[in-house]
Amino acid sequence: MRSIYLVARRDYLGYVQAWGFWLGLLLTPILMGVGMMAPTWAAASQPTRYYTVIENGTTFADALRSEINQDRVSEARLLLDPMASMNDEESEKLATFDEAIDNGASVEDALDAAGGSQVQLPQSDFIFVDPPATTEEGIQPYLLGERQIQSENGPQTLFAAIFVPDGDGEIEYWSENITAQSLLSKVRATERTLTERRVFEEAGVSPRILQEADDRAREIAEKRARPPSAAETGSAVTLADRAPFFAAVLLAFLLWFLIFSVVNYLLMGTIEERSNKIFDSLLTSVRLPHMLAGKLLAVLAVALTLMGVWAIGAAIVANMFSGAMPADAREMMFTVVAAVAKPGLIIPAVLSFVLGYLMYGAVFLALGSLCDTIQEAQTLMTPLIVMLMVPMFMIVVAISDAESPILSVMSWIPFFTPFLLILRVPAQPPLWEVIGLLVMMVAATLLVLWLASRVYRAGAVHGAGVGDVGKWFTKFVPGKKGA
Amino acid sequence: MSAPMPLEMDAVTKRFGFFTAVRDLSLTVPQGSIVGFLGPNGAGKSTSLRMALGVLSPDVGDVRLFGGPPNIETLRQVGFLPEERGLYKKMSPRAIISYFARLKGMSASDSRKRADRMLEQMGLGEFARSRVSKLSKGMSQKVQILASLAHQPDFLILDEPFSGLDPVNQQGLEDLIIEEHKRGATILFSTHVMEHAERLCDSIVMMARGRKVFDGTLNEAFGALGRAVLIGVSDGFDLDAAMSAKGFGSNELHGDHWRVSLPPGRDAQDALRAAIDSGAPITSFRPEEARLRDVFVSLVSDAEAEDLRQSLAADTAKEEAA
Repeated sequence: MRSIYLVARRDYLGYVQAWGFWLGLLLTPILMGVGMMAPTWAAASQPTRYYTVIENGTTFADALRSEINQDRVSEARLLLDPMASMNDEESEKLATFDEAIDNGASVEDALDAAGGSQVQLPQSDFIFVDPPATTEEGIQPYLLGERQIQSENGPQTLFAAIFVPDGDGEIEYWSENITAQSLLSKVRATERTLTERRVFEEAGVSPRILQEADDRAREIAEKRARPPSAAETGSAVTLADRAPFFAAVLLAFLLWFLIFSVVNYLLMGTIEERSNKIFDSLLTSVRLPHMLAGKLLAVLAVALTLMGVWAIGAAIVANMFSGAMPADAREMMFTVVAAVAKPGLIIPAVLSFVLGYLMYGAVFLALGSLCDTIQEAQTLMTPLIVMLMVPMFMIVVAISDAESPILSVMSWIPFFTPFLLILRVPAQPPLWEVIGLLVMMVAATLLVLWLASRVYRAGAVHGAGVGDVGKWFTKFVPGKKGA
Repeated sequence: MSAPMPLEMDAVTKRFGFFTAVRDLSLTVPQGSIVGFLGPNGAGKSTSLRMALGVLSPDVGDVRLFGGPPNIETLRQVGFLPEERGLYKKMSPRAIISYFARLKGMSASDSRKRADRMLEQMGLGEFARSRVSKLSKGMSQKVQILASLAHQPDFLILDEPFSGLDPVNQQGLEDLIIEEHKRGATILFSTHVMEHAERLCDSIVMMARGRKVFDGTLNEAFGALGRAVLIGVSDGFDLDAAMSAKGFGSNELHGDHWRVSLPPGRDAQDALRAAIDSGAPITSFRPEEARLRDVFVSLVSDAEAEDLRQSLAADTAKEEAA
């Protein structure tokens, strides 16, 4: 055990003294934060865009304005009471807000009425302006920025113009920007609503009846079947129910991220030892299994250090801002943490994490022992990286459906099991399947460790290299004979 | 009961595919001795040493280190300097020496104290905390040698320890080996530089083409070469004919002097007397000073000739079988 500790200690200190470690430690949370905030920033930084509708009357323009307003209503409800909005629950604030909206109040006024005046609602993305011209030729200079329309915020470029002809003629959506499609979607939705209304009217159904039909549509309550032991939790689907799925995706991504980034240390460290010809000195001082165990432990310790520092940093930041955090948001945070900390999720997740790390770590160690240079390693790494991309795609599948059959099938492929078992656990697969997957994962990890130690010995003791891997594969090519 | 030998190899053979790197090697390294392991490049020295250390397993035969199979416990008494030198480039000499000493069982504080003392003794004190990548090649080699000695092993195995060192550092290493020997360490080192072996060794083992061609003391090695005298003559005198008539039958002309081999029971005085009696116009006379290099060349040539004979015999046998 002492030699395992000494090897692990040396390697660990070697890794954490490298500047790359500190770069990763500091930059990763910053870049992840930037990545997570990017959509919000992108939305916030989206300029307010001005559009106009050319039609007889204001029917289409009014309907479009109402459609656009729906997004702001949803946004305002979320800001007003996040917990109730996400859990689809009733709350006094939301009821007041909805009532004000139903009575024709603006979103800002409805927020004030519900006591949410402190909530900063961003400006609407799209603002209607009166048509500066009524023909295509007349509108085009405004769309191209050659001429500007007048708005409350001064002269602006016109973003889009919608020509709505009388009768059944085609609606034309004109814009210089063909990539921003959100306004076009709203136009399509508006036309669908208006057409439905018109068809019903033609059939003798008045708009009042249509509205009544809408109003009388029953609420759909999402319920979850639970075993009798959990009956006291109630059947309503809450954030606490969804939190394990979020947490599983997060853990699977964390495992993937660590394997993808940290395990590289093993590869590089072993290449350094091979190229520096240290193996013989080491092998006469420490048993090979102890050496491999020490190396795997060292990188695991590096991973835990990174995660520990990030967790402490996150706790400090959360603590610093907890005073400013709304009570609802705090409650939401505790709900997620409590859901993650359940043994049913955390035990399989930790086992998957450790076994997955050992499996991939051993493979990287073995590859490193065959390579003298990084360039050589690249040739062997490519198939492994391609294979590692599969769990990433599966994470995307799990986000939309954690019980997808493809997840169930692929979780039985040993190299993907560590990731996919984590993703499947919140969906509560049968116990036999969880145990079966864990047993298979242990067996596969032991097999990989055994094979990796054989390859490592071939590389470290006999000097086997990348070329020998090629020769080994040629044995399986018909008509070719490996050396 | 006597202490077990530091190293015993018994009829050891190692093959890599179709290539036999070491063939039927037996050797013993007695306690307290300095043994030279000599042979040209590719003779099988490093493979033999790696088997002695348990890094490689023999295909045939038996290796015993301090009476048992080579394992981490017995290897704790061994210091090993591999032929292929290498260190962790980002570590300091002090940390490296301490690391390997700790792997061999020393405590952290003892290993650091020992590292400081050894580095100071070797004139590397000021570089103790520098990165190895900043040291010269010679300095790095010294550090690696110190790393193999730091835990004060009972048995030192040094694979080509002098290669890559300048003459001053070679002398320093010789002194260090003698010092370790005085401390009580048994030493086995491989080299193809005969002068080091001549100066240091009690006994030598010579290898050629994977086979042991000699195992004995230096005197026995010189004896194996055969004694001779060198006689210079003038006027193109045919000394071979004259000496053959006197019973000295194996004579070779080397430039301006003859090398006259001494048959068993005859000495240099007998050869000089025979030359004078035969009327040879003698211009110089001296007994040949045997050098290990000559013994080595002679034995290696014999081994190669033997290999060639065996190879031809095998070819003939195949042809006859066909």
